[in-house]
Amino acid sequence: MTPEPFFFLAALLFSIALVGVVSRRNLFVIYMSIELMLTSTSLVLVIFSKVLGSADGSVMALLMIAVIAAEAALFLAMIIHLYRRNRTLDSEMCDELKQEANNA
Amino acid sequence: MLELSLFVILALFIVGGAVATITNRQPLFSAFGFLVSMLAMAGVFGLLENQFLALAQIMVSVGAVVVLNILSIMTVNAKEENLPQEPYKYRWILLSGVLVSPVTFLIYKSMSMAYQHFSTLETVNTKVMGETLFSAWVLPFEIVSILLLSAMVGAIVIARKKDVIAKETR
Repeated sequence: MTPEPFFFLAALLFSIALVGVVSRRNLFVIYMSIELMLTSTSLVLVIFSKVLGSADGSVMALLMIAVIAAEAALFLAMIIHLYRRNRTLDSEMCDELKQEANNA
Repeated sequence: MLELSLFVILALFIVGGAVATITNRQPLFSAFGFLVSMLAMAGVFGLLENQFLALAQIMVSVGAVVVLNILSIMTVNAKEENLPQEPYKYRWILLSGVLVSPVTFLIYKSMSMAYQHFSTLETVNTKVMGETLFSAWVLPFEIVSILLLSAMVGAIVIARKKDVIAKETR
């Protein structure tokens, strides 16, 4: 089997997740789309590791899984904090800094 | 032939899960699409003969990240009126999909032009990965451990209630 279908799958997954980030306003959906983008990147690293026959890409993908876990902890804590403040999951409501700048 | 059919099934699960993630209104249904996508991604890692990463994907991404995600969605427990109003959701998804599709094609072309075949060397197994991780990549490994520690502390500080902090500092 050639690597092309795997590359196509990674590009397609990245684009679907990018569409999710730019077109949705639910904070949880934005978070999951960012996770999907990170996962598609680690898929590319694994494919290149197999294409080149070198373990470096796999090690990078392994470190990337750890980064995904750290990002999950921080982002979910942030969502819970924002929900407690605003009582909504709408990303349009997270504009306190913008309002301050306009009033000043 | 078996490889190709396995790949097609896994790719359908990944793409279907991703589409379900970005189109559902309720975040819990999105999370289940995300779960399907992550599990199928572990299968693709296995198809690329990288057993250790497939296991790590199932243990960390499916076992920890998705479960934490579903738990926080259930903890937040947003009512219908607290969800964002998105009347033109599908129109936005369609428009940004059209805008993003040339980028997809560019990414795919630039990657697939570079390498046409898999390497015939069989050097990526768990033993070689472990040796590489603890020799050439030992500094990034340590940095990741510090990152995880600081993310844990930061998550606790961010998600803590304000009155708890005020009570403790008094």
